[in-house]
Amino acid sequence: MLTYTLKRILQGIVTVWFIATATFVAMHAVPGDPLANQRATNEQIQRNLEQRYGLDRPVSEQYVVFLGGILRGDFGISFTQENRRVNDIIRENFPVSATLGILAVAFAALGGILFGALTALFRDRLPDLVIMFLVILAISVPSFVVAAFSQLALVDINVYLGFSLLPVAGWGTLRHMIVPSMVLGLGTMAYLTRLMRSSMLEITSSDFIRTARAKGLPPARIFLKHQLRNAVLPVVTVLGPAIAAITTGGFVVELVFAIPGLGRYFVEAVQQLDYTVIMGTTVFYGAFLVSMVIVVDLLYGWIDPRVRVE
Amino acid sequence: MIVANDAPVLDVSDLCVEFDTHGGVVQAVRGVSFSVRPGKTLAIVGESGCGKSVSVQSIMGLTPMPPGRITRGAARLDGVDIVRQKIVNGEDVRGNRIGMIFQDPMSALNPTMRVGDQIAETLQVHRGMSKRDAFARAVEVLALVNIPDADARARQFPFAFSGGMLQRAMIAMAIACEPAVLIADEPTTALDVTIQAQLLELLEGLQRKNGMAIVLITHDLGVVARVADDVAVMYAGEIVESGTVDDVFYRAAHPYTLGLKAAMPSRETSKSVGLMPIEGAPPDLFRPPAGCGYAERCPHAMLVCGPHRPQRVEVDPGHHAMCWLHHEDAPRGTDAVYRGGRA
Ligand SMILES: Nc1ncnc2c1ncn2[C@@H]1O[C@H](COP(=O)(O)OP(=O)(O)O)[C@@H](O)[C@H]1O
Ligand code: SF4
Ligand SMILES: [Mg+2]
Repeated sequence: MLTYTLKRILQGIVTVWFIATATFVAMHAVPGDPLANQRATNEQIQRNLEQRYGLDRPVSEQYVVFLGGILRGDFGISFTQENRRVNDIIRENFPVSATLGILAVAFAALGGILFGALTALFRDRLPDLVIMFLVILAISVPSFVVAAFSQLALVDINVYLGFSLLPVAGWGTLRHMIVPSMVLGLGTMAYLTRLMRSSMLEITSSDFIRTARAKGLPPARIFLKHQLRNAVLPVVTVLGPAIAAITTGGFVVELVFAIPGLGRYFVEAVQQLDYTVIMGTTVFYGAFLVSMVIVVDLLYGWIDPRVRVE
Repeated sequence: MIVANDAPVLDVSDLCVEFDTHGGVVQAVRGVSFSVRPGKTLAIVGESGCGKSVSVQSIMGLTPMPPGRITRGAARLDGVDIVRQKIVNGEDVRGNRIGMIFQDPMSALNPTMRVGDQIAETLQVHRGMSKRDAFARAVEVLALVNIPDADARARQFPFAFSGGMLQRAMIAMAIACEPAVLIADEPTTALDVTIQAQLLELLEGLQRKNGMAIVLITHDLGVVARVADDVAVMYAGEIVESGTVDDVFYRAAHPYTLGLKAAMPSRETSKSVGLMPIEGAPPDLFRPPAGCGYAERCPHAMLVCGPHRPQRVEVDPGHHAMCWLHHEDAPRGTDAVYRGGRA
């Protein structure tokens, strides 16, 4: 297990390096000078910045400076907001995005496992049919539509009740987090529900469940100890990509619900070609995703003993 | 109370099982009766698809229902019917009074649970043992089925075991609660020949030690000859002949049994003559034949065989066959005489 963990971490580091390099190359492939099209850049700042980032030097040297910065955990200074360090932007706004994302992933995973197991247990009966109809709906409707409709519905509910049941937008308390994280996790939850359902059905007719029955185990024990753990494996496998999907989806949800997360900064930075912010947040998001995927892999190894030795 | 040694521990009578399918109702098991005595081995033998697995799995409540359905019959374990009610005296009889092992050991164990825990589980559930005690006992049972280094093996997961070892672990699981009956559904079919011999030896040894009855399902007459005390020959969802192993091997009374024996590889045939597989295929169980299921393939078939179901006739004491040839009005003579009736 230890060598497996170390191997995964090493792979993760290589992946992050790859992401950093790709971002760097992409940024330099974009036409235009990062400092030429700025609103309020005076000569002084321009020269300082060029010196600081070595923009007057060859690309290979810039690359080394860039990687060196990452190694030191320094993403530099924003091109558009004078004297604002990218590190500070990340430190202030990332926890908000992370909270939103983690809540959404938890909601998606737990909901997917719960509803998937439920539909499998009630196969072809009313609960199964109703949930699977909603699943199709949730998969096919894009999240910004769901976000808008849930906001509208929330307004109506609050008006009808005469007090604010849940806030329509903003951030701060747990009450603010409920609706956005559910909206953000909904599509993934629907997808995981479908996956969990088919995996449950496959396991129900598997040989080892037949063995468990032949051992005279109580149905609850068969379900919890034999069926659930094995059925959850495919769901855990796709959690990595699911986290990635939720992270990108978070940009939209943050905008709609006016949540002060990192996603908003990223979108703004791209619009304004704020190179350091783009590169910094991309590499940071990349590193975050890679570590989440590693956590998921370790979780998988913990659930499925066969993976640990390979 | 002293039970006479001949009283069967498991007595199955007139078991009928059918399945709803898209093509209609399949009558997989059509009135099967057999019994097995303590300390003895009953072999159920027959071609693939004749209903052996369904017979025993329906008794154990393992056939999916729906689409499956037990329409008739009983299976008495020490006199108590367990077909409809698996809980006897507040205890599930399965894994407890009656154990079962399966054909494919590779898929029969839970891949994400330690082998020892899977054995311990039955002891926890049926014996109310603590997890610790049950695990310690599981190690002992693994040693009993000749798993070397049982203590370490119990802590491993099934993927670390070979096929033969997994089947031993399955046996350990099935006998942990010292059942009165062990049902083994083609336990060696998926394994190679040397392992097969070892496993049969193991089962015989365990049987001598604890006196359990074994129902051994197989399509291999060689295995039957080795280990069986009694034999039931199954064809198209029915038991067409039953008796002691000597009855069935030396005084076979049903044409299908004779056909099986002719198809059996032996030392002589494998060298020279070759096998004589029975020509044709078993009947379609969507529309089971009105008469004898074997009539289409039987070299002795008579006019009466097609439309009329043969009776179960006791040809010798305890030796039964379901064939018109043993009716009192049947012609006696050579094969040619019998064939004459076919026209
Ligand atoms: N779940 C099922 N649904 C429909 N038919 C089944 C099912 N299980 C078994 N059968 C039918 O029952 C018959 C007997 O099968 P089985 O008992 O497995 O044969 P075998 O003697 O090889 O063990 C087969 O013809 C098979 O098609
Ligand atoms: S009843 Fe007739 S067809 Fe059936 S086995 Fe006997 S002789 Fe053959
Ligand atoms: Mg079978």
